[in-house]
Amino acid sequence: MIKLYDYELSGNCYKLRLFMNILDVEYEPVAIDFYPGKEHKSEWFLKINPLGQLPVLNDDGFVLRDAQAILVYLASKFDRSGKWYPTDQPELLGAINQWMAFSDGITSTSSAARLHDGLFYDFDIEACRAGAHRLFRILDEHLWFEEKQGNSWLCSADHPTIADIACFPYVILSEEGGISRQDYPAIRRWTDRVKRIPGFMVMSGVFPAGPAFKQQNQEMSA
Amino acid sequence: METLQRNWYPIASSSDLPFRHTFHGQLLGREFAVWRADDGYVNVWENRCLHRGVRLSIGINDGAELKCQYHGWRYANRTAGCTYIPAHPADAPARTICNRTYPAVEQYGLIWSGESPDGEPPQIAEFDSGVPFALRPIPVNAPADLVASKLGEYTFQPSARIDGDGATVQSEIGPAGCISLMSAEDDVASRVLFFVQPVDSNRSVIRGVLCECPEPPDEHAVLMHHNQRVSALRDLIEAEAVKLPTPEPMQPVIHRVSEELASMPQQTLSGRTAPLRVQVSRKWDAADGIAGIELTAVNGQLPTFQPGAHIDVHMPNGLVRQYSLTNGPGETQSYTIGVKLEPDSRGGSQCMHEDVRQGDVLAISEPRNNFPLRRDAIETLFVAGGIGITPLLSMARALGHSNLPHELHYFAQSGQHMAFPDVLASLDEALVPHLGLDPQATGKQLDKLLGGYEPAMHLYVCGPGPMLEATRRIAAEHGWPDESVHFEYFKNTNEIDDSSSFEIDLARSVMTLQVPAGKTILEVLRDSGVDVPSSCEQGACGTCMTTVLEGEPDHQDVYLNESEKSSGDCIMTCVSRAKSDRLVLDI
Repeated sequence: MIKLYDYELSGNCYKLRLFMNILDVEYEPVAIDFYPGKEHKSEWFLKINPLGQLPVLNDDGFVLRDAQAILVYLASKFDRSGKWYPTDQPELLGAINQWMAFSDGITSTSSAARLHDGLFYDFDIEACRAGAHRLFRILDEHLWFEEKQGNSWLCSADHPTIADIACFPYVILSEEGGISRQDYPAIRRWTDRVKRIPGFMVMSGVFPAGPAFKQQNQEMSA
Repeated sequence: METLQRNWYPIASSSDLPFRHTFHGQLLGREFAVWRADDGYVNVWENRCLHRGVRLSIGINDGAELKCQYHGWRYANRTAGCTYIPAHPADAPARTICNRTYPAVEQYGLIWSGESPDGEPPQIAEFDSGVPFALRPIPVNAPADLVASKLGEYTFQPSARIDGDGATVQSEIGPAGCISLMSAEDDVASRVLFFVQPVDSNRSVIRGVLCECPEPPDEHAVLMHHNQRVSALRDLIEAEAVKLPTPEPMQPVIHRVSEELASMPQQTLSGRTAPLRVQVSRKWDAADGIAGIELTAVNGQLPTFQPGAHIDVHMPNGLVRQYSLTNGPGETQSYTIGVKLEPDSRGGSQCMHEDVRQGDVLAISEPRNNFPLRRDAIETLFVAGGIGITPLLSMARALGHSNLPHELHYFAQSGQHMAFPDVLASLDEALVPHLGLDPQATGKQLDKLLGGYEPAMHLYVCGPGPMLEATRRIAAEHGWPDESVHFEYFKNTNEIDDSSSFEIDLARSVMTLQVPAGKTILEVLRDSGVDVPSSCEQGACGTCMTTVLEGEPDHQDVYLNESEKSSGDCIMTCVSRAKSDRLVLDI
């Protein structure tokens, strides 16, 4: 059985819970007292991850850290459709990794702002927010032009990939760090689409989208 | 500021309102929730739920209603009236719970609105000759007047020379204060109009529209070209704006609920007012002997209705009759009723069938809901007999739209007698017709249908009196409690015994009145200048229900169920009387 070292309010842990739910993979969460206990910096946990970061996955003794790396592992091992991380399509694979690296930028800005506002971390909040807005402008522009070309997702494919899962959490949680998404209408539409992926689940601070079956049917028949 | 509030501004692109999405807009400091219903109507609303002030822009657009994320209050397409409050599932929300709406006009690929704009949005002659083509809107952290002044320096290539760099650009102030720029190179030229949306004192959106849609293969390159150029200009403007003192954010006035809405409604001298004027926009045969009548507002917007609601129709011959609305959720542009021609008509249905024609104007009451639909049932059964389909049709459409489990059992003489076949077809497998059954066979069928009662199931029945009685009796036999069986009679066929005489004490009005034999409580109240609302005035609709504080009522209505009647704490003043010498009423 897979073990996920997990913190309920972490967006990086959430993306793995979300993806395992989409793939219908069973796992056992191990709750880590990230705040206020700082258990991820405890001696016992540093033996599992010397970086002292969540999440960490343990699949029958195979231990892996880094949310994006774990997404790659889960997709490669459990995704029977082969679409979430298509290793046989070089361009798509490159784009997926480009946007997964981008998601680390979102973590270091949007997530940092949220840690400052919610868990009292001592960060330069204005720099965090400005950095997130700079990335969101790039993301909104990219998604707007993808839409114009008929693409719904971060990477040019007719289906979502793990890049969408990697970027979603700290975009949708940005308002908890005082970062409004009002100026990013294409991002707002994309988050609606992510919320309509079969198997989508929420976490605290993430609201569900309503159904849009008719549109999907129309698109399928079109 | 006040002059700005009278202007029309583009606040979104048409493409910002895809299927079942809610757009987050803002103009002059005021936030909007903007959403397109499935019927295409664009709603621009104050971005706060009337309940706890949560932003409606994070709410769920279900195509007919917008649902608040926080406590699930639902607001209807067009009217923004509240249709359902999950914390009060058995009650009909007051009609006065209505969000603030702003005008919305869609033209040139943009959604136009304003705080309280004059007239119509600007008609722009430059767009008449071609197909306007909206560019990617660019938000800017700078005041609108600074943005507008800098847009005069914008340079770009004509659409047909997008890769060149030798275009000459001329700018001028265009219609509606926009910045109009013409770019020419060789023998080709393009014109772009920029509208600046003042989001707040220090925030704007640049909304550009090309007067002519580029040839299809060039569209993408043209959009990229302008996006890159406007973004570069945006960076310059923002660099300039940070050097200026940051203006205070605008403080839009969040309007308080008006006195009239917040207080109890004014009492009127007649219980049956008809404040609305509607035109018969369509009249057709909805089934054998049933006229479908569509009523459209003569002026403005019809008020919000809820499934189960009815209206009073004041007819040309002076009669007043109640008809249930059959509309589906969000279908707020007209009211549709079904009228069966009664062979023993006392003039009501005959008048509606024979005298009322398309184009006629009628007076109607606001919709009133004494037959509210719960949406928290684990399963809902609807049992309709004949024309009793009308309120249940509206209810089944509401539950169907939200994918809530329900079945609509429709007892009718034949297929030709089933009303509104086109709407029935849209109900799919939820509709179960039972055709041509005699009373005995109907009873058997009901016995089968009502067999599987479980807690939190609800039954709604409407139809002729004998069928209603049978359904209620059979439901009770199968263990359905009174509070799970909801019914509405067309009329009260009980023989009214008005021979008693008694005294009524009005606790709030501090009056004591005598009700003599031959007069109703309602009539005595009105004779003494005390007004109470009423509608059918025969003990069927529930509008005149009044709380009883003391005394034993003599119930003669068909609105209350047995437990409500035996509790003795409410009374229909239009037909019911007193068994005791005295009744104390909460009036």
